[in-house]
Amino acid sequence: MAEKVSVQHNCDHYDRERHPHLRKRKYGGQEVDAVIVGLGAAGGVLLYELAKAGLSVVGIEAGPFWDPQTDFASDELHAQSLAWNDTRLSTGQNALQFGANNSGRGVGGGTVHFTGVFYRFHESDFRVRTLDGAAEDWPITYADLAPYYAKIEEEIKVSGPREFPWGAFHGPYPYPERSPISGNAEIFRRGCAALGIRSTVAPLAILSAPFDGRPPCINRGFCNQGCLPNAKFSTLIHHVPKAIGLGAEVLTDCMVTRILVDKGGRVTGVEFNHDGQFYAQKAKVVIVSAFAVETPRLLLNSACSQFPEGLANSSGLVGKYLMPHSGHDVYARFDQEIRLYKGTPVLAVSQDFYETDLSRGFIRGYSLHAHGARPVGMAVKAATNAGIWGKKLREIMLHWNFYARITLVGEVLPEATNCVTLSEEKDEYGLPRAQVHFAYGENDQKLIAHGIQKCQEILAAAGGRDAFVVPDSAHLMGGCRMGKDPSTSVVNEFCRSHDIPNLYICDASVFVTSGAANPTETVMALAARTADQIIAQGKR
Amino acid sequence: MGLESLYPDYDVLALQDEWDANTRQIVKQRLGPFEFKLLSHWQQGMIKALARQLACEGRDEVLTWIAFHVETELGKPQGEAQRKPGIPPRKELILAGLDALDNWAKAKFFKGFLSLKEAQQLEFLQLLEVGGLPQEEGWDVERQKELFKKLAGLVITAHYSHPWVWSEIGYGGPAYPRGYVRVELGLVDPWEPKQAEWS
Ligand SMILES: Cc1cc2nc3c(=O)[nH]c(=O)nc-3n(C[C@H](O)[C@H](O)[C@H](O)COP(=O)(O)OP(=O)(O)OC[C@H]3O[C@@H](n4cnc5c(N)ncnc54)[C@H](O)[C@@H]3O)c2cc1C
Ligand code: SF4
Repeated sequence: MAEKVSVQHNCDHYDRERHPHLRKRKYGGQEVDAVIVGLGAAGGVLLYELAKAGLSVVGIEAGPFWDPQTDFASDELHAQSLAWNDTRLSTGQNALQFGANNSGRGVGGGTVHFTGVFYRFHESDFRVRTLDGAAEDWPITYADLAPYYAKIEEEIKVSGPREFPWGAFHGPYPYPERSPISGNAEIFRRGCAALGIRSTVAPLAILSAPFDGRPPCINRGFCNQGCLPNAKFSTLIHHVPKAIGLGAEVLTDCMVTRILVDKGGRVTGVEFNHDGQFYAQKAKVVIVSAFAVETPRLLLNSACSQFPEGLANSSGLVGKYLMPHSGHDVYARFDQEIRLYKGTPVLAVSQDFYETDLSRGFIRGYSLHAHGARPVGMAVKAATNAGIWGKKLREIMLHWNFYARITLVGEVLPEATNCVTLSEEKDEYGLPRAQVHFAYGENDQKLIAHGIQKCQEILAAAGGRDAFVVPDSAHLMGGCRMGKDPSTSVVNEFCRSHDIPNLYICDASVFVTSGAANPTETVMALAARTADQIIAQGKR
Repeated sequence: MGLESLYPDYDVLALQDEWDANTRQIVKQRLGPFEFKLLSHWQQGMIKALARQLACEGRDEVLTWIAFHVETELGKPQGEAQRKPGIPPRKELILAGLDALDNWAKAKFFKGFLSLKEAQQLEFLQLLEVGGLPQEEGWDVERQKELFKKLAGLVITAHYSHPWVWSEIGYGGPAYPRGYVRVELGLVDPWEPKQAEWS
């Protein structure tokens, strides 16, 4: 099928100029104040904040600069092109699935196809060692991030309930909660109510009223395929265009292949590849925001005589303590139509099981989401993750409008053995591919079993039957964790690498623990805090 | 429970004028015609036979689309998201897997996979899923399971991307720019699939 390739591969963007080649660079050949590798959740915020402060900044993104109107479609199969599909070698008892399940490729990164559930972490998430005697404490507390959470929520007009019952923040959110909620969300709330479990409408990075020329959500339910009307926030439509307006230069379809280091052991910029050609961009500060697999991979692949084990890796911890969330889906059949395809996928949530309760037999906890589905996503995961195919799958899918679904977002404790390393295999740039090892620990397994049980109870309380479980995982965090001690962490509390003073690592990879909440608001709050620090340093 | 559609009167393609042009074009290409370049006639037949069991689908048009999707994916230069170490790249794995299935069939029943009864083909797939076929020429348990997973992933993705299947299951399909006005439990927009009276 000659599928129309509508992506316009312009690769250089600045000051209303856009070029399909790199011959008219704004900052080419110059040393800029900062270069950012990867323009996803964190990279987008950093680009914007640094440009706003008047710094000269270049953002380099491996994927395209999407135009939602021509590059997105209301179609699950087509949307696979938004993902980071490069092959990663995946090992371990619970080997992870990548592609659309994990990372985006292109301006906006994972925010282009994320679900938009927008949570703050709880206070306890930053102090797991102190409170539960496991994992590690973060070098910052909730209070350090609170102003940045507020700033991000305000800036993108997060919509949420009048009263959010869990954690340290109880609302109000800048925009009113989404209304009405979908059939699936309603079923979830009814089931919760019957069992005395608190639930609310989800806090979302999705508009409930117009903002900044963007309309409110029209409930198509295609958030994981890219939002066509631009009702859902992404750094693609918010931070990056604004940063360009403020003077930033953005290079797309440009894969950073190496971070450059001088004899004194400071970084001097990056090498990148566009269309088979290698280029360099010099910078006073390099910020790596390439997500939890590509960030460690780039640091390891940048090994040089000064740093033979890879950059920022004197602790040996680059790539270690990688964490997903357990993300099991529980489906149950109802006598009435639920229609999982309608409405924003997640419109109701509960965090009643978020905090440690030792009577459950494990530490930490999980969030529960009423989670919509579309046919491909539901059927493929059932076939490949749950062994449901053939006649059984067909029978379920012919009745799929009668199914409701709840999804778990379960905390996974950090383990050094869950890690990103370099494999023997090379990619098209000649760089070793990432190898990712993952297995759940005992606490994680107990937590999952508890969560699944709760989902089943809620669905049953709402009238569901014939439940089935599809094991899955979501999100990635860790791999370059932050900390006070350079021997047990990779970056400090401002995401600056302990080893190299002008190298920052700022994205989901710096997480110390995973929390039981979707991570992107925390990623963005960390990025805004890091930006402030870089700006303050520059002024000194 | 039966295998009939609860929405026999619903045709998602009848709504296509309401879709954005990009989506419409993408979806309509799944109706063919298809020009195969990579898969041989026999390989196409194998994929279709496997898809018949994996997706429980009998219509040749849909099976041909599935085979074409497999061809398209195998021909792409992009990666396959994840692969286990020691497992060959997806294209190699699947093409070698088709030959291996045929050889296993010949060894057991003295005829090629495509000449087997459907029940026998199904049994092969059930064994493949758990790595229960003869472990010869590198086809250890792990490799058999991976072949099953990669095949099932491609086949089921294509199956539930076909608009005829959307119609059958009562899926609203692409919904831009229209969106949904009535999302509450029990409410439907006037154009959405409704169950037939008798069901
Ligand atoms: C299906 C799905 C649903 C999700 N739903 C939610 C949700 O509801 N709520 C939530 O909070 N989170 C959600 N997430 C998670 C969210 O997407 C991530 O937490 C977030 O995007 C991580 O931000 P980041 O900046 O660390 O990395 P990313 O946003 O992934 O950005 C990294 C960027 O770096 C680029 N890059 C990588 N390597 C290089 C290189 N070498 N050179 C140049 N560029 C490079 C990539 O192309 C990418 O654009 C979801 C994720 C997925 C996949
Ligand atoms: S449900 Fe709303 S936010 Fe999600 S893709 Fe559709 S319009 Fe965008």
